[in-house]
Amino acid sequence: MATVTLDRLCKRYERSTDLAVDNVSLAVAHGEFMVLLGPSGCGKSTTLRMIAGLEAISSGELAIDGRVVNEVPAKDRDIAMVFQSYALYPHMSVRDNLGFGLRRRGIDKAEIARRVSEVAGTLGLAVLLERKPYALSGGQRQRVALGRAIVRDPKVFLFDEPLSNLDASLRVSTRGELIKLHRRLGATMIYVTHDQVEAMTMGSRICIMDKGKVVQIGAPLEVYRRPANLFVAGFLGNPPMNLMPARLEGDRLVIGATRLTLPPELAQAARSAAGLVFGVRPEDLMVGEPGDDAIATEVTAVEPLGAETIALLRIDGSEAEMTARLGRDSTVRVADRLHLRPDLAKARLFDAASGNALG
Amino acid sequence: MSKEARVHRIKQVVLVTALAIYTMLAAGPFLWVASMSLRTTSEISKDHFRLPDTLHWEKFPDAWFNSNYGVYFSNSLLVVLSAVAILTLVGAMAAHCFARYRFRLNRVLYFVIFSTIIFPPQITIIALFQILVEYGLFNSLFGLTLVYVAFQLPITIYILESFFSRIPNDLFEAARIDGYSEWSIFWRISLPIALPALSTTIILNTILLWNEFLYAVVLITDEDKRTLPLGIQRFMGDQMEDIGMISTGLMIAIIPVVMIYAFFSEKLIQGMTAGAVK
Repeated sequence: MATVTLDRLCKRYERSTDLAVDNVSLAVAHGEFMVLLGPSGCGKSTTLRMIAGLEAISSGELAIDGRVVNEVPAKDRDIAMVFQSYALYPHMSVRDNLGFGLRRRGIDKAEIARRVSEVAGTLGLAVLLERKPYALSGGQRQRVALGRAIVRDPKVFLFDEPLSNLDASLRVSTRGELIKLHRRLGATMIYVTHDQVEAMTMGSRICIMDKGKVVQIGAPLEVYRRPANLFVAGFLGNPPMNLMPARLEGDRLVIGATRLTLPPELAQAARSAAGLVFGVRPEDLMVGEPGDDAIATEVTAVEPLGAETIALLRIDGSEAEMTARLGRDSTVRVADRLHLRPDLAKARLFDAASGNALG
Repeated sequence: MSKEARVHRIKQVVLVTALAIYTMLAAGPFLWVASMSLRTTSEISKDHFRLPDTLHWEKFPDAWFNSNYGVYFSNSLLVVLSAVAILTLVGAMAAHCFARYRFRLNRVLYFVIFSTIIFPPQITIIALFQILVEYGLFNSLFGLTLVYVAFQLPITIYILESFFSRIPNDLFEAARIDGYSEWSIFWRISLPIALPALSTTIILNTILLWNEFLYAVVLITDEDKRTLPLGIQRFMGDQMEDIGMISTGLMIAIIPVVMIYAFFSEKLIQGMTAGAVK
């Protein structure tokens, strides 16, 4: 187990004017499962590769267990990495793949054999030890890749989208296995993904990145409930948070033809911004009667998903659209009129200019 | 029979006929030479295409010991094996670097090396002759080996580079994290994975160099340094050709090529189909 500390880490590629990783600072604690989450090209994989030692650091400082490792080669950082492609050596059996990293470290053969069979037993690979990677299914390959990391007993585990090549059902079960594995090993893990479900279900904390920068770090539910800016609000959640242009009139928030009475502290925060965006999660909208605190809408589409029904709505007096998560027994139809009361305790207000959350 | 089945049948007949004709064209001359290798020249002169009445197996030891084929054979073996070993090793190292490392002028260097294949041997032979004389390598098997390496290196690098560049970079990175140096990664990851491509280049280079005549005839003059193609040429006189011994010599020359092919052919086929399946 170890801590990993990133201090204003930057990466600029040759012949590029922009920073691929822009002043990323992050402290991963002992035994923490930190998820780096963001869209493609946000710099999360580059950050992970810099931690692994596969990418040179342009500026800033990286420390593993308090030791600055900027110039330390990958092999001496005592980390293990699971790649998206699994990166199994195709000419070696599962046994050799598992033991390859140990052989280099001068560990004696008996100890290697013991560790390999122990890990193979844990991951259900014992009967596959003599097989070559081409004779394994996707899920089995994934477990071998995982086993190769575990057998090394490294200070830090790094995962680069390890589940993205698996089919949906296998992804769910492997996700569960990874969670159990983290609990059992208690190891420090850094996990890169663009899949928010993986991030929400696996991470002790999530670090959301956009355009090379860290946008928000926090526990999954904290980040989900209190997004720090419009990017996080729009990125996290499926469907994402409803974001509607709004303006303040006294203590009331005007959205299209609707006027909402804001709690005093939110109203106070809103006064400091020139323009406002009102954000509310689709599940925080309750169907009610027409009234001042209800947003009047018209249903434009209905998506019955079985466990719930998603309604797409157009807000009266506005061009803005929104979605609402309704119960599975909902009978709404296209063109129905719905009056939705947002749970203001859970709603967020954003400064339209900076995109940052208010209050 | 349905229309589809009839079309399929016709396709099969056309395919089998085409393959049979091709096989006859390819195997016919080989079988003819094989039959002549067991007949004497006077027998062949009487009837070129007749099968041997008596199998003259004694012609093989005769060619080996009395016609100096043993020396030519060992010279060819030495030159070709050395050249192919150097080509495989140096070619693989160069291809590994071109495919794996980003460095300034990578593509320029690669293009310069590869572009040398456009020169036919006849253009370079006079210059090569001069260079070998200058360095005291003329009329030496070592000199001929170096020329063979230089001659075949570009195509070897070309074939291997295209294979190496398809090896996913993640494998090398995983090996780096596993603690292996760049040198170890070349030996333990690149080379074993590239075995099909290496087999391809080994077979191609062996066959080409084993049969190489032009450089050998210009750069080797001593009788005891001749390679097999030159040895076979010795039986082609101005007045008479000892076609029986030429055939026996050819059969002796073919054996190692067949052996190399048999040994590496499975890997060669894998090399040809590599990349077809992910």
